[in-house]
Amino acid sequence: MPTTRKPRTRLLALALPLLAFLLAGCASQIPGLYPPDPVTTEGASTRNLYDIVFLIAVVIFFLVEGLIVFAVIRYRRRPTDTELPPQIHGNNLIEIVWTVIPTIIVLFMFVVSWQALNTVDARTADPTVRIYAIANRFSWDFIYLGPDGKTPLFTTDANGDGVFGSLEVPPGVPIEVQLHSPDVIHAFYVPQFLFKRDVVPGQTNTFDFTVDPSDAGQTFRGQCAELCGVGHYTMVFEVHAANSMAEYQTWLQQQIAAQPSAPPSGAPAPSGAAPSGAAPSGAAPSGAPAPSGAPAPSGAPSGQALTVEAKNVAFVETSLQTAANQPFQIDFTNSDAGVQHNIEIKKPDGTDAFRGDIVTGPTTVTYNVPALPPGTYTFNCTVHPTMTGTLTVQ
Amino acid sequence: MATTALTPAASAYRSSLYEWVTTTDHKKIGILYVINSFVFFFIGGLLALGVRTQLAVPDNKLISPDLYNQLFTMHASLMLFLFVIPMLAGFGNYAVPLMIGAPDMAFPRINALSFWMLPLAGIIMITGFLVPGGAAAEGWTSYSPLAQAKYSGTGTDLWIVAVTLIGTSSILGGINFLVTIFKMRAPGMTMFRMPIMAWTVLVTSVLVVMATPVLTSALIMLFIDRNYGGHFFDPATGGNAILWQNVFWFYSHPAVYIMILPAMGIISEVLPVFSRKPLFGYKAFVFATAAIGALGFSVWAHHMFTTGSVYLPFFSFMTFLIAVPTGVKMFNWIATMYRGQLVFSTPLLYALGFLSMFLIGGINGAFSAAVPVDFALHDTYWVVAHLHYVLFGGSVFGVMAGIYYWFPKMSGRRLNETLGKVQFVLMFIGFNLTFFPMHMLGLDGMPRRIAVYASTAGWSQLNLVATIGSFIIAASMLPFLWNVFISLRSGEPAGDDPWEGNTLEWATSSPPPPYNFDHLPQIRSERPVFDVRHADTIQEGAHA
Repeated sequence: MPTTRKPRTRLLALALPLLAFLLAGCASQIPGLYPPDPVTTEGASTRNLYDIVFLIAVVIFFLVEGLIVFAVIRYRRRPTDTELPPQIHGNNLIEIVWTVIPTIIVLFMFVVSWQALNTVDARTADPTVRIYAIANRFSWDFIYLGPDGKTPLFTTDANGDGVFGSLEVPPGVPIEVQLHSPDVIHAFYVPQFLFKRDVVPGQTNTFDFTVDPSDAGQTFRGQCAELCGVGHYTMVFEVHAANSMAEYQTWLQQQIAAQPSAPPSGAPAPSGAAPSGAAPSGAAPSGAPAPSGAPAPSGAPSGQALTVEAKNVAFVETSLQTAANQPFQIDFTNSDAGVQHNIEIKKPDGTDAFRGDIVTGPTTVTYNVPALPPGTYTFNCTVHPTMTGTLTVQ
Repeated sequence: MATTALTPAASAYRSSLYEWVTTTDHKKIGILYVINSFVFFFIGGLLALGVRTQLAVPDNKLISPDLYNQLFTMHASLMLFLFVIPMLAGFGNYAVPLMIGAPDMAFPRINALSFWMLPLAGIIMITGFLVPGGAAAEGWTSYSPLAQAKYSGTGTDLWIVAVTLIGTSSILGGINFLVTIFKMRAPGMTMFRMPIMAWTVLVTSVLVVMATPVLTSALIMLFIDRNYGGHFFDPATGGNAILWQNVFWFYSHPAVYIMILPAMGIISEVLPVFSRKPLFGYKAFVFATAAIGALGFSVWAHHMFTTGSVYLPFFSFMTFLIAVPTGVKMFNWIATMYRGQLVFSTPLLYALGFLSMFLIGGINGAFSAAVPVDFALHDTYWVVAHLHYVLFGGSVFGVMAGIYYWFPKMSGRRLNETLGKVQFVLMFIGFNLTFFPMHMLGLDGMPRRIAVYASTAGWSQLNLVATIGSFIIAASMLPFLWNVFISLRSGEPAGDDPWEGNTLEWATSSPPPPYNFDHLPQIRSERPVFDVRHADTIQEGAHA
């Protein structure tokens, strides 16, 4: 009955995680066992803590896994083993030893992580930039607030280039983010910050971050990290660190000037901006005006009409054809209740050929698209860059 | 030396369907639990293959995001509520009365009732796929407001009803175990002579009885929210979204121990038998189990570190602290093998798989206890890796050890060792290929529960590896099923005590007669059957 078994197979199997680890180390594009290099001062202290925890973990892993492997190799039953092995029932001293030592280790880990927490969670009384972030299903709007922390200056969804609602911040100064959700729970997550914070409806979570000056000029990818429904995976955003405070100020003034409803603090433009709760459920707060809309129909609404539906944060029709050099219409149905969509047509070189008004579903609008020269165009939703399709003009 | 039954039982699996459906015999109910759990394990596994197929390549449009959310929600719900928890309850049902020398559970009919709620609940839950809007798709955590009626369909109501039924079944089962263990032990079976398996089931039952009513109440409140305007958990109507998380995790973190403690119990039976030594530090092990149970109630909010609504240092401290009793267990298991004579039968292989993989699941848990690190890792694939190292590397390997260990007792026939080892190797490799890369994906920032990732994200290779691994795990089920099939037909007869066991179930026939024992050996230690087998040498062995 005692089947003898070579321990080599087991050793090999145990080595698998290690192997994967080493492989990951070799191929540099593949993520390894370290988080990304932090780009904020808060992230840097998290990274220091990670290094400590990782070191302790690796030591314990090799120690304990080594003991298991040793026992497996050393204490196999041999054909000569006919008598029972010594029947050891325990040892109180050693039980105390391996209770006390792990207790000391975890107390140490608790203390260092508490210290790191105090840095990461530290708040500035006087942040240089205050941002009111609204996480909707399924997009991010960032409202830049005035020095009083209340007055909205402008909203990035109006002018966002690149990813919808991308965040522009100056390097080296504290930035405060207030998180607001009008619908379900989301989470603000930027991997290179080594940080995330939930966006909880009914409460405003606030945190500070400071981009390290040495990381100025970079763009950091962000994404919603709390399941928020069918379009969860589309809820991406970007944080771009300006090269300098001056560059940021220039950008800020441009954005304020480009606001559609001229007076910056006047009209109650972005409805969500009122601090905290009141906002009663229902429709997404921003949305309504959306500038840079459809160019005025230059002439009669001639041409054929295309039909496009956006459903479950994807275009139902992903391949469209139309005739060249004549204006046409798109009957656009947004079937996602409470979700913003539009159609943006891009030329082969990536510039905008047409950008339709953003509408909140469920609704149907008609876009009047100007004449386009022949070619293959891509179209996407400005709010959800993951929604794409092709338009062939011939 | 084994006892011969005065009334030889008919082979259990040849009983008529009627007998199985109406049985109140704890052994048959235990086997029903195991079979039922495997059915949902396979369904849940197929759903996981759907998830992994979708994630195999970037920008995949194979499965719609809508269906994808249903797949991972139902995968987790089936695996947790209808596989791991009932499977371990099934082992408890089968083994605990035998181990403590009892003729049956204290309340045999309630026992049957708690079982039969499970297939009903499973059918109700899966029916979600057939209703408009599909099955529940909010994740197994069902966070409000996403789980409110305006964001989710009838599938979620079915999910709530199903989980409430399962919760009720658990509570009834927990009470039954407590009464059985306290009142039905054989003469001489003092508390500190009970097998560790019985201790882990005892502590688990305390957790079940204390925690599950909280979940069940919360589910009913959520149901009222969704259907009758309850306003408990929806901020839009004056409720509180975080309240749901508090009550949900007040159950669901202890539930993690409900899902691992009995598996630890199985390992604590298997390791001594196949090391031919007693468990090292029996009492330390009992206290560690009790400590895990007690501390398990003070760590729930470590699932909520990023909500901004938690007193972080307290829950961080308690979470670190719970590593200590877990570590004590690990050292005791290893010390059990020290100077032993290891017999590499399949149950021991799975036990070793448990030790080496649960170790990783324990260590990577410490990362999440360090709050700032958790800020980085929470809701990423790191957490998916961690929970699978605990629940697959731990619980599933423990379950497989239990299957190979007790199958001879349940059926009277042994499982084939070669097929068992093939299954183990496939499962071990597949498991690590699937879940180890998820650590790296999580560190690099891949969030959980996203249906699609971009090719530019740099996550493609590791996801492909994970998908290949998941299919290897699936493949490892084929030798298992074949093994069960051929062993039931023509497996080697097991005899009463195929492994030279320690505990009372090996003192009766395989399968045991309806009321378990016609005669019990004297119980003078936690290893009564060992004592009988080595009655002549026991005096000398004690001095070693």
